[in-house]
Amino acid sequence: MQDDPVDVLIIGAGASGAAIAWSLLETRMRILCLEQGPHLEDKDFPSRDDDYELARYGEFSCDPNVRGLKQDYPINADESCITPVNFNAVGGSTINFLGHWPRMKPSDFRTHSLDGVGADWPVDYETLAPFYDMNDRNTGVSGLGGNPAYPDYTPELPPIPMGKLGQTLAKGFNEKGYHWWPSDVSILSEDHDGRQKCVNAGTCDLGCAAGAKGGTNFSYWPMLENAGVELRTGARVREIRVDKSTGFATGVLYHGPDGQVHEQRAELVVVACNGVGTPRLLLNSKSKTFPDGLANRNGLVGKNLMFHPLTGVAGVFDEPMLGHEGPMACSILSQEFYETDPSRDFVRGYGLHSGRSTTPMTYALGGYGIDNPIPWGAEHREIMDNVYPYLAGLTIVSEDLPEEHNSVTLDSDLTDSDGIPAPKITYKLGENTRKMLRHGEERAKEILLAAGAKKVLSKNDDKVWWRAGWHQMGTCRMGNDPETSVVNGWGRSHDVKNLFIVDGSIFPTAGAVNPTSTIQAMALYIGDSIKTKIETLFD
Amino acid sequence: MLNETNRPILDAILDELIPPSEDGKIPGAGALGVAEFLPTANAYAPDAAGSVRTILDAVPADFVALPRDEKVTALKRVEAAHGQAFETLVRLTYMGYYSRPDMRPHFGVGAHPIHPLGYPVARESDAMMDELTAPVRARGKVYRDAR
Ligand SMILES: Cc1cc2nc3c(=O)[nH]c(=O)nc-3n(C[C@H](O)[C@H](O)[C@H](O)COP(=O)(O)OP(=O)(O)OC[C@H]3O[C@@H](n4cnc5c(N)ncnc54)[C@H](O)[C@@H]3O)c2cc1C
Ligand code: SF4
Repeated sequence: MQDDPVDVLIIGAGASGAAIAWSLLETRMRILCLEQGPHLEDKDFPSRDDDYELARYGEFSCDPNVRGLKQDYPINADESCITPVNFNAVGGSTINFLGHWPRMKPSDFRTHSLDGVGADWPVDYETLAPFYDMNDRNTGVSGLGGNPAYPDYTPELPPIPMGKLGQTLAKGFNEKGYHWWPSDVSILSEDHDGRQKCVNAGTCDLGCAAGAKGGTNFSYWPMLENAGVELRTGARVREIRVDKSTGFATGVLYHGPDGQVHEQRAELVVVACNGVGTPRLLLNSKSKTFPDGLANRNGLVGKNLMFHPLTGVAGVFDEPMLGHEGPMACSILSQEFYETDPSRDFVRGYGLHSGRSTTPMTYALGGYGIDNPIPWGAEHREIMDNVYPYLAGLTIVSEDLPEEHNSVTLDSDLTDSDGIPAPKITYKLGENTRKMLRHGEERAKEILLAAGAKKVLSKNDDKVWWRAGWHQMGTCRMGNDPETSVVNGWGRSHDVKNLFIVDGSIFPTAGAVNPTSTIQAMALYIGDSIKTKIETLFD
Repeated sequence: MLNETNRPILDAILDELIPPSEDGKIPGAGALGVAEFLPTANAYAPDAAGSVRTILDAVPADFVALPRDEKVTALKRVEAAHGQAFETLVRLTYMGYYSRPDMRPHFGVGAHPIHPLGYPVARESDAMMDELTAPVRARGKVYRDAR
């Protein structure tokens, strides 16, 4: 079945797909977005149910292997210490993301020049700054200006409450003389743009039934649909096709909600399927011209997978910390140990995040992102009654360096519900990361004690959180050299001149901050580059 | 799956997995009726019913009548012999117990569905924010120039 050709075809309606669609609106080109998931309705958000916590272990799990819904693709992570997590729907993983919104820092774009590791980005912080601002305006961002860990900028809305937990930890950081700052969040601290402010429900992973979180289902998509961007849901792309005489992408084959395979032709194809979904799609798009997968002449598609490996330390305090009141992951962030310090035994660094504490069921089952239930019996009672309410914790979120052996390939057996080969992850923690996490755990313990914790709980093992593959980067890295990168400095494939990639797979390095504000700023930057180069776009 | 004979045994097992509080104010998982959640729990464990059956078959027939310390010893033996099924039962017990809205307030968490009400939390005053951030601002810039 063949559908009418369009000018721009975007695959994936998540964070990056929505941002580039918005950027291209003013071109008046015909834009179509194909999304494998549905458009969620209000009734689909489980936080309105009495037993809302259960959804975290079923249809609203962050792990597609647990959800197992038709629109999900399974992921084989047997050879990884971290499993990728996501959400597949209009809004993508911003449906269940936690709204933490730090920017990358100037040094993140220059790790090779500054520290001799990773690769420099073809763009720098200053170039990206106006696109961060633009994206913040479209998303709705709260925070406190004047953070000494960044070049000056001020979020539009005042910070969300830090709460008792954040205030307590801040005092610990002050005691030690360390940097901390109220978290920047894509969560509304005030009613804004027709959207309701955050009600401090604390279950941001269940989709934010208030609409206060800056998921693109609430921020970009209403604007885009009003402006006439066509969104086709239940449409799963199986391959991107190329014309063998021109080497240009001609469009895609996709499985529609009618169960049929459709052909959709397009002048320009944009891939926005996240750091695992994008290489999977390219590797599945084999042809005579690209026998190893599309845009993969140098074999780098799927290589250099980076997460932000993390671990946590919790302190038990004298008073209840009320950690479940307020957005789940965001209170304060310390970047004291973010930049390289030659006196340490690792390069680059990490952030110390004060997540809030989670709800009782999730705590009893081991915590969010972990699968390790607390003991049963008398000890269970003791922990839930006398430890859980008094907890405040710090999470160590480390920079991951690009290493080619960490990769996304295609699984030889596993497929999704349309029979399309599923991704397989091969990933090992680097030695630099291990040292960083150990350093972070020690600092976190000191800070918690300085904040007044009477006891510190830490695992004392080398394990990182299993379901911490929420940030997926590096698998189609950008760069100026076609031998060492998949896309050029403005997101265009070196091999296929009308193919663009806009999600986190283009990151040459990962920084140690949550990536989405940077992913979207990059998507806006790429959109802007397309507009300014429109006359010579395919040269 | 559950009948008049095995239900009291299951309740007794559940009351050991999550026992009542010492003052009796917070019920254990058996008394709370978590057993009723288990047969419906297939959405959360591929073999929920099978795991429950395995554990019921493995405990001594007189489990209900045993003194508490012997119940715990018996369950530890079952855990060692049937690790997977036991872990499934533990996980499902926690789910059944803590998904009960009336349990949440015992741990300081609201019984209400979390949206639309959420929790009232006041933003810190400007004065408090100024005071807390003063040492951080006083240290000045902590990022590296990259040019
Ligand atoms: C639990 C969780 C918490 C997180 N918390 C934070 C946070 O606090 N801060 C932060 O910055 N980031 C956070 N993230 C990460 C953030 O969600 C992602 O970085 C961001 O959504 C990535 O944007 P994207 O456009 O690359 O992919 P996504 O937003 O995931 O969108 C990709 C879309 O592509 C669709 N798709 C994939 N393949 C196909 C195909 N073949 N055909 C059709 N459609 C397809 C998918 O269905 C999906 O909707 C979190 C993620 C998770 C899962
Ligand atoms: S805490 Fe705030 S942002 Fe998070 S889900 Fe609730 S209303 Fe939304």
